[in-house]
Amino acid sequence: MKQKPNMLGYKNEKTLGRMLVLPIFLLVFVLMGYPFINTLYISLTNKRVGYEPEFIGFKNYVRLLADPTYWLVLKNTFVYMFLAVGMKLILGMILAITLNEKFPGRAIVRMLLLVPWALPGMVAAMTWKWMYNDTFGIINSLLKNIGLIEVSIPWLSSKHLTLYSVIIVNIWRGVPFFIFSLLGGLQTIDGQMYEAAKIDGANVLRRFWNITVPSIFPVISITTMLSAIWTFNDFENIYLITGGGPINSSSVIATYTYQIAFQYNEMAQAVSVAVSIMPILILMILFASKRIGKED
Amino acid sequence: MAGTSLKRQKFLKFFLIYTVIAIALFFTLFPIYWMIKSSITPDDIMYTPRPSLFPERITFAHYKALFTETSFMRYFFNSVYVATITMVISMIISILGSYSMTRLRFRGRVFIMRSIILSYLLPVAVLFIPMYILMSKIGLNNNKNSLLIVYLTFTVPYSCYMLISYFRAIPKSLEEAALIDGCTHLQTLIRIILPIASPGIAVVATFAFTLSWNEYLYALVLTTSPSQQTVTIGISTFQFSDQYIWGLIMSSSVISSIPAVTLYLLAQRYLISGLASGGVKQ
Repeated sequence: MKQKPNMLGYKNEKTLGRMLVLPIFLLVFVLMGYPFINTLYISLTNKRVGYEPEFIGFKNYVRLLADPTYWLVLKNTFVYMFLAVGMKLILGMILAITLNEKFPGRAIVRMLLLVPWALPGMVAAMTWKWMYNDTFGIINSLLKNIGLIEVSIPWLSSKHLTLYSVIIVNIWRGVPFFIFSLLGGLQTIDGQMYEAAKIDGANVLRRFWNITVPSIFPVISITTMLSAIWTFNDFENIYLITGGGPINSSSVIATYTYQIAFQYNEMAQAVSVAVSIMPILILMILFASKRIGKED
Repeated sequence: MAGTSLKRQKFLKFFLIYTVIAIALFFTLFPIYWMIKSSITPDDIMYTPRPSLFPERITFAHYKALFTETSFMRYFFNSVYVATITMVISMIISILGSYSMTRLRFRGRVFIMRSIILSYLLPVAVLFIPMYILMSKIGLNNNKNSLLIVYLTFTVPYSCYMLISYFRAIPKSLEEAALIDGCTHLQTLIRIILPIASPGIAVVATFAFTLSWNEYLYALVLTTSPSQQTVTIGISTFQFSDQYIWGLIMSSSVISSIPAVTLYLLAQRYLISGLASGGVKQ
């Protein structure tokens, strides 16, 4: 075949290269970049739905700092993130180590444990909401049947419990991601290292801390960081199960932002909430992207 | 002696493994079982304080009602429409872009790759309000087509991220020979890379589809009328005043889980390595 002297040819590698990434460039810098920058501006205005915004400086942020609900929501978000991610890491590690052993039925077990991750988040949330139901829920009924409780536990109506109820659902749906990430890491460890440690008399726990953890530390940290970013910003799980209630006891940044924007119609105030967590988020994103970059 | 103690050790190990697995399977599968069981339980025995663990009587009334009395078909069609078109567009953009980033040399290549990773990590919870304002400005509020645009903001970075690692694994020698023979770059992409990378591309396309299918927050704020809404939003509206109609919610949950779960299970073989490189987004 003859080489065609057009811009798709070999000579114009640079032009072709740029042309092919142009859609991605527009997507990232125009479609995502513009709203992102616009967010910062809107947070300095008094934008409400259907009204033109006026510049008001940092008033939204001042109001936020004086708002006790904001601090409660921020605290909830951190409790939600640390507890859920911590539990997902522990459970995911236990199950990954178990699945790394050879036993009959391993392939099918591995497939079944993946299912919660594949479900739409909405399905997971609604199913658990139904199971938690105060009157007809199966969880209370099961616990009564095996004699653990006599009075129904108000999973979704007690302000001391709701946050933990939604954390359980987040853990349920998120563990598979940890299992499969960590399992991928475990499979790269050389089995001879364990044999050598065994001969040296190291017990199971020592082998775990001295061989397993250091060997897959990069996988552990990237998995944890990704999960932390997603968990920190989880929305539908809480929105659908408790709506953030009762009295904001399970409200987190994402649901609170939505509530201010679409129930109180205070766009600018809502956006200032989102912007206020940006520093933490950017730190997490930079950390995670550095890890991902290293892998490449 | 040594033989029996070794046997015992092996027995204990298996005992431990199966105990952990049994507990994990129970917690993992019970909610799914309960969703399916509730979807075929008649209303008169569903709403009792002590529901029976196993189905006593089975009914398909909820499924029938779903298709004849609700807008479920409309929601389902909208989801298929949005997820399919999003997948096709994002695969075209991502394949061309990933090819360019892994095979062609030009300034700004590394910069684009970095910004893809950053945008892949930027959560919807931060972007949904400004995106809502933007879509209202260009007249796409309450329009399912706005989702086609918005969903690209997460399917494309994700797909590129995955495709870049697939393309990198393909040796360049094949293409170099073809280039010397006078093929253009795009010809090498279509005739050499695409056939080799097709299993990987199929997996990435699967996930682009599922990510769009499962999305909730954007769909919630960008569509408001049933004619535009997708299943994830539609299902949560099955309420009668403030009472949830659980039979309908559970049966529609079962149906709307089928596409994503089937695709995941088919692709799970490839998923294990993909997840390990941080490749899947919620």
